[in-house]
Amino acid sequence: MRYYFTLLSFLLIGGCEPFVTEFSDSATPLRFEASNIDAGSSAYQGGGVKVLTWNMRFGIGRFPFFGDSCGEGVIADEETVANTMEAIAETLNVIGADIVFLQEVDLESKRTGYWNQIQYLLNNTYLNYGVYASTWEADFIPSDGLGRVNTGNAILSRYELGPAERIQLRLRTDQSDLVQYFYLRRNILKAEIPELKVGQKQFFAVNIHATAFATDDTKQRHVDKYVETLGQIHSDGNMFVSGGDLNAVPPGAVTDYCQNDMCDGEDYHTDGAEHFHKEGSYFENFAGEPDILAPLYEAYQPAIREGLINLPEHFTHAPTTSMVDANTIRRHDRKIDYLFTNMEWEDQSGFTHQECWELSDHMPVSATAQLPTGN
Amino acid sequence: MILILLVGSIAPGQARAWDSHSAYIIKEQRWEMGVFQPFRYGLSESLEYSVHPVLFFVMPNISFKRSQADLGTFKTATRYSMIYPTPLLNMLSKDNIGGLIDPNITMPPMLGLSGSYLMSKDIFGINTTSKIGIDIGLALGELDTRSNIDLPLVYHRLEVFHNKWGVHAGVDLTKEITRRVKLFMDIDMRLLPDPDKDRGGQEYSMHSGDYSIEHKMLLVWSRSPRFRVLVGYKLVTGDYPYGRDTRLLPYLPMMEKWVPLIEFQWAK
Repeated sequence: MRYYFTLLSFLLIGGCEPFVTEFSDSATPLRFEASNIDAGSSAYQGGGVKVLTWNMRFGIGRFPFFGDSCGEGVIADEETVANTMEAIAETLNVIGADIVFLQEVDLESKRTGYWNQIQYLLNNTYLNYGVYASTWEADFIPSDGLGRVNTGNAILSRYELGPAERIQLRLRTDQSDLVQYFYLRRNILKAEIPELKVGQKQFFAVNIHATAFATDDTKQRHVDKYVETLGQIHSDGNMFVSGGDLNAVPPGAVTDYCQNDMCDGEDYHTDGAEHFHKEGSYFENFAGEPDILAPLYEAYQPAIREGLINLPEHFTHAPTTSMVDANTIRRHDRKIDYLFTNMEWEDQSGFTHQECWELSDHMPVSATAQLPTGN
Repeated sequence: MILILLVGSIAPGQARAWDSHSAYIIKEQRWEMGVFQPFRYGLSESLEYSVHPVLFFVMPNISFKRSQADLGTFKTATRYSMIYPTPLLNMLSKDNIGGLIDPNITMPPMLGLSGSYLMSKDIFGINTTSKIGIDIGLALGELDTRSNIDLPLVYHRLEVFHNKWGVHAGVDLTKEITRRVKLFMDIDMRLLPDPDKDRGGQEYSMHSGDYSIEHKMLLVWSRSPRFRVLVGYKLVTGDYPYGRDTRLLPYLPMMEKWVPLIEFQWAK
């Protein structure tokens, strides 16, 4: 009988896990390892360290998902997810980055058939280790048939990952309590990579996915926290490579994409519209937003040089509303994904992989960082 | 939906009256019903039926229980149930808040059939009922593989339609504490043999959850043979497409706390 009550107590306590997971300011990310790690494959062999960032849109490719496109789809079909995940793994293998920053990776979400996408990518690429920090973890979203959701940021690495931290970003303030309860909890994911330590200088990988749709100053707060996180590493005399989906355009870029993103039946930019601008398509919601990334460009090295950032070949976002007219397709229209380091990038190594248009609404960006001598 | 499944499944009680889970048949012409519990009526000394009147309009349902010959010292009965969940599921296939199924999916006509064999006996002063049965899920059209609802209590019941069949078994115990107060406890298991095999999270897999175990404990206070109040909890643990999960119910999401299960029942 005593064992019965002990077991029952554990089950009752376990049965009261929060329905929606909220996170403390600093939390420990989940860790993953490839099922097979070849001996020696995780040892640094010298030379540059190739880094890639990619918002992989939870492996649904161009599926017309209702939440981020003009589509009405909710649960992606098996063929779409299977084909996209296979192609993403193949693309990672071809690009061959040593460190990969992923955003919008699904971990056992209903909308993508409950895949553990991190484990799949580790098992099907040369990458060996991963850490994951959820941005949206709910047992059940009672809306649009979404059900269970767990999606977030991941760092995958050829090299073993050391201590890692999930840094909570401020929640949006322009939502009702009910919406906020079920909404995203964005974060910065930071991991040390001991294998790449140079002398006393530690090496960190930092991944971020900043707010996309906030119309208050949340984006400023997210970028401020990001700058603070990188600044702390830098001021401690350590090295970092960092990147992610900042959902912010570079200095000097066009700031209004409402016309590009407008779906059939929407009426933005008209006097009678409920909102004049579309959420996530307008980048002047508060003073200084157009130059929100200037501190990063001033302090660190961007993978795509400042003089090139507004060229079409470096646009990283590929909205679903690609057809300008019946004959003209505009595949990419803005840059919102970035890589930075406080070291140096190899000359002209920064590249935007626009050939990945079929695999996500964001294009990967890669570059090779030069480690200081001494490793 | 989950509340109705949660509370509607509670109908414990002493032998004969208030005893929908046991092999005893309700007295002829007596009826019993609760806020969430189905309406139950004795058609004869050996046959009763039950129907959920509120749900009936969106999910037609009916259940019959017939007493069978005693098996040694055990009282026995068989129960047959039929349910047509299609209208309710299509109501839940909607946009925005309240949408539990992808709004792009239309559920086909579906018929759920269930048969159970029940055996009851008083053992050391505890009214004990064992049951075992089979569930059949018929879909008269193409059932979209994405049309699951990954909630406790709901998932494994709906999954019978994807899996085509399942089995259930359980034990109910009722112990009289005082003349008016009883303690009820049960444990039920639902199995979905040969579902979509667990692919270890490495592939698209909407139907890999293959069992659930449901346990509840209730304190029952009978004011009279015509009215009683039940208070307790329900614990559900099981295998889902995303892995094993345990949930204590009822649970209020935004408050992040469990609240007691409370049910009022009347009879005549």
